[in-house]
Amino acid sequence: MVEGYWCLVLHNHLPFVKHPEYDDFLEEDWFYEAMTETYIPLISVFQGLLNDNVDFRVVMSISPSLANMMTDKLLQDRYYRKLSKLIELAEKEVWRLRHQEPFYSTAKIYEEKFKMCMQIYERYNRNLINAYKELLFTGKVDIITCNATHGFLPLIITERAKKAQIRMGVKSYENTFGKKPNGIWLAECAYYYKVDEILKECDIKYFFVEAHGLLYGEPRPKYGIFAPVYTPAGVAVFARDLETAHQVWSADVGYPGDPDYREFYRDVGYDLDYEYIKPYLHSDGVRRNVGIKYYRVTGRVGLDKKEPYVPQWAQNKAAIHAGNFMFNREHQIRYLRSIFDREPIVVSMYDAELFGHWWFEGPDFLNYLFRKIHYDQNVFRPILPMEYLEKYPKNQIIQPTASSWGDKGYYEVWLNGSNDWIYRHLHKCEELMCAAVDEYHRIAAYDGIKKRVLNQLARELFLAQSSDWAFIMTTGTMVEYAHTRQKQHINNFLKLYNQLKENKIDEGFLNWLEYKDSIFPDVDYRVFL
Amino acid sequence: MKEEKEIEVTSAISSGMSSGSSSVLERKQVPPLEVRELPKSYGDTKIVLLPKDPWWCFAYWEISENTFSELRNLYGGNFKLSIRVYDVTNVNNFDGINANKFFDIDIDNINVNNWYINLPEVNRSWCVDLGIKTQDGKFITISRSNIVIMPKFGVSPLTDEQWAILQREFERLLEMSGISMIGKGSFDIAKLMKERWEELLFISQLPQFISSGFVSSFAARQEQIELAKEFFLKADTELIVYGETMPDAKLYINGDEYKLSKDGRFSLRIHLGDGTLHIPIKAVSSDGSMQKEITFLITRESKEKQF
Repeated sequence: MVEGYWCLVLHNHLPFVKHPEYDDFLEEDWFYEAMTETYIPLISVFQGLLNDNVDFRVVMSISPSLANMMTDKLLQDRYYRKLSKLIELAEKEVWRLRHQEPFYSTAKIYEEKFKMCMQIYERYNRNLINAYKELLFTGKVDIITCNATHGFLPLIITERAKKAQIRMGVKSYENTFGKKPNGIWLAECAYYYKVDEILKECDIKYFFVEAHGLLYGEPRPKYGIFAPVYTPAGVAVFARDLETAHQVWSADVGYPGDPDYREFYRDVGYDLDYEYIKPYLHSDGVRRNVGIKYYRVTGRVGLDKKEPYVPQWAQNKAAIHAGNFMFNREHQIRYLRSIFDREPIVVSMYDAELFGHWWFEGPDFLNYLFRKIHYDQNVFRPILPMEYLEKYPKNQIIQPTASSWGDKGYYEVWLNGSNDWIYRHLHKCEELMCAAVDEYHRIAAYDGIKKRVLNQLARELFLAQSSDWAFIMTTGTMVEYAHTRQKQHINNFLKLYNQLKENKIDEGFLNWLEYKDSIFPDVDYRVFL
Repeated sequence: MKEEKEIEVTSAISSGMSSGSSSVLERKQVPPLEVRELPKSYGDTKIVLLPKDPWWCFAYWEISENTFSELRNLYGGNFKLSIRVYDVTNVNNFDGINANKFFDIDIDNINVNNWYINLPEVNRSWCVDLGIKTQDGKFITISRSNIVIMPKFGVSPLTDEQWAILQREFERLLEMSGISMIGKGSFDIAKLMKERWEELLFISQLPQFISSGFVSSFAARQEQIELAKEFFLKADTELIVYGETMPDAKLYINGDEYKLSKDGRFSLRIHLGDGTLHIPIKAVSSDGSMQKEITFLITRESKEKQF
């Protein structure tokens, strides 16, 4: 007898970074690394489960920015080149280390992994969306959307601009996957009052909030965070379970810091002979991580004291951790069932990039976990939100509180001394965008160039709104790039807007922006109407 | 400040999704990414209010040249900027006089154009007027902000009958829901990786490893160019200050607050030039009742020799 359910949500997102104007661009690596380390390995895990008839469920939110990068021809080709180089390096490494265990086994793992990536990549014609569509079709995976460019909704000031973010996210999903999304991931899990009304209008069935979004909701949630509720607008909302978040993330008790797991910071990009590694670095020749690492976390020791990675130990650990995670869920769910008059649901939400990129063995952990859940116990089953809602269509109505999953639970990460200066500009652009659409949308119906201008204005505003820029400014990582992008999109917007107002459209400039900031080929400025 | 700069370099390498330390790249035939500054103002007179968390709001404003000269005509130069913060919870059609209560914040510097407002009460709604205070203390509104309903803090006292639950069971449920973990640090990759990197830095005291991460591509390229020119020697020193205290304490280095890692550790790299450096390190317990201070005095002297 099943006593409850567990729902896994993986949020896949990267800001739209594409620089056709350069042959080689450092920040595009975010995408290439995540492809090799996270996106493709996860697809491979899910396909493996399907092939072995292991029942599993997972919600994957694919942000429209990320989906747009996956379908972009230039990035597809560049990733192909990148991965080919990586395979070449891995092959050389296998040869170089042929007499040196355990390095040899580790090198073999990289070689196999990269080749597996290439195989999957080629099988889907270099477009991972094809693989996601296939997964969606099985009914075991729900792929959901996100607001257009991951804009931080609570700090967008006009209703129309909030709507535009959500409508564009839904529209982009429809054009990518050929159906309406069931659910949405609000960027940074950030909820603000009445956003659910927009979701309702867009026919969204469910979304997610951080635990206190529901716990501090009004009235009190009868089942805490262990059952969905309906917002006043009638959209279902599921809250994040903090125990499972803590188990994976926590610096002291979290799984990824285990001594047997791979050490992220000891990379051959720094360790190997310069002339040997140089062809695999960026064109500036600076030593950076290339993605092959032979050492394990070892313990709290310096980088020079790290010990060699032993693949078998790491695999054993991943299996043990999966067992531990399952055991804890069994207890949690059994207890909840004993005090509830219905089956509880525990919702675990993670950044997908945690699995594989940072936690190298993360995809293996999920693989073991779903297999164990399937074969080794009967206390709980994995479930999708829509399945749970079908089982329990009657739920409490609660006004969730404004919240986010960022540090301290509200909006500080995106609003503090390092980034608060951006909002006066973003808000001005929102205002001008709405004004431009109102003034020109009738003319644009038959004036091709004005239509293009309005559409490009929408793209520039969307790109400027990515929550990633403000986030990067706060974390202090790659700040220069975030500043540049933030200012560039706002400046592009203002320049283009002025050209439109003065009726002096510089078509060369418009062409350049369309080529460079090419997110959403299907953009439609009317989402601002 | 120098220290701040160093910290920024540290974090640049521990980036979430990237492997590199700097975005300086060889840009072929294309000018580097253009960074034009944003407009200083848009010629508007307005104030906007944004929620930050249950206790804080952020207001920014702009006053156009026209508005300024009008004000000068009316009141001479004798006025101060001020913002009036109204509690408008459950007020229908706020009109400036029907607020529940209000308080003023005088802005002494006319060039200041934003303010973080600490609110006296949680779970209320607020609206802000941007205005001036004349010499006789009269507040004159220039512009009114949007109304902000604050994010809630704390469990609602309201229950609904249909979904009633016993108080004791509810308390147990709150515990199970991780109520004690709310707001206790975020779970995001960038943060986790940064913490790990800082810990590694703290532990790895071998200079070779510290430098491998720290060399920005810019610096590295410069070095290569210099090599081609002539024989040279350059040397410099850096200082690593590290330690630990109670994780919930406040730590000040040189008077600046410094963020502790989760377990209360800290480490900081400082450029160490010739001369004497005083580095006071002060920890204050979370309730402010206890404090400890350690000060380092470090002197560097260099001697150069030509052959």
